[in-house]
Amino acid sequence: MEPAIHLAPRAEHNGFASMLATLVRQNIDERPEKKQTLLKMRGRVALVVVDLDMTVTLHFEGGRLTVHDGVVGIPDLTIRADSEWHTQMSLVEIHGRTGLPDPRGEVMKSILTASRSGAIEMFGMWRSFPLALRLTQVLSVSA
Amino acid sequence: MHDFPSDAWTQAFAAAVNDNEVYRTHGKAWTFGSVAMVVEADPSLGIDDAQGMILDVHEGSCRGAQYVTGMDAVQEAPFVIVAPYARWKQVIGGELDPIKAMMEGKLAMKKGHLPTMLRFVQSSRALVTSATAVPTKFRD
Repeated sequence: MEPAIHLAPRAEHNGFASMLATLVRQNIDERPEKKQTLLKMRGRVALVVVDLDMTVTLHFEGGRLTVHDGVVGIPDLTIRADSEWHTQMSLVEIHGRTGLPDPRGEVMKSILTASRSGAIEMFGMWRSFPLALRLTQVLSVSA
Repeated sequence: MHDFPSDAWTQAFAAAVNDNEVYRTHGKAWTFGSVAMVVEADPSLGIDDAQGMILDVHEGSCRGAQYVTGMDAVQEAPFVIVAPYARWKQVIGGELDPIKAMMEGKLAMKKGHLPTMLRFVQSSRALVTSATAVPTKFRD
């Protein structure tokens, strides 16, 4: 099955939504392992960009991703942070062998610190832990 | 003072990039080709066609710059960022962060590999904000 990535109606006016759709599309085009990850993903992730007052919802349906403007449906996972942290989250180091976020990576360490301080808030993280890990994999630009 | 946009402004921008220590440091590994910044046509400001500034950036320095007219003229650049005049004015004035502006849709990357751009987020920001050092005369 080939993944399909769409912007929902009205989401094309949300720059962050367009960026996320492009990012996932380009990541899976060049990295087969990210494509396999996307095929396994199911659920809704809301990303709230606090300083820009923007929200997008990523709706994963086993290879089909729809990026919506705003909160659409009931998110399984919600991440609230300033734009700088959302950018940093795409830079999380991925461990080469396991394909999982590398807790020893500099960016990962700074994100964990920001999560502890409340600069990044994650809701539903433990209930949707596999979704969160896979989200990191498909969004990460780490080589 | 240099009129924005113009050939003189573009050359001053290239010089500002080369004077930017932050760009030199963070852009050292950049080998992915030129970056074009395009001002959309705005006849009310005397800009009848899109105006592009193409920076030949490589390994932390700018090897040359071209001022061109029309979207066709920028298509050879691997990265193309487009915005209306007013948005570039805010970027040059230091009022608008280019990465946040992309997230808000105020600057649009019309062509390019976003994962690469994000991998070089610090150098991308430093490249664009080098423009704040250019003495600029705006049209409005």
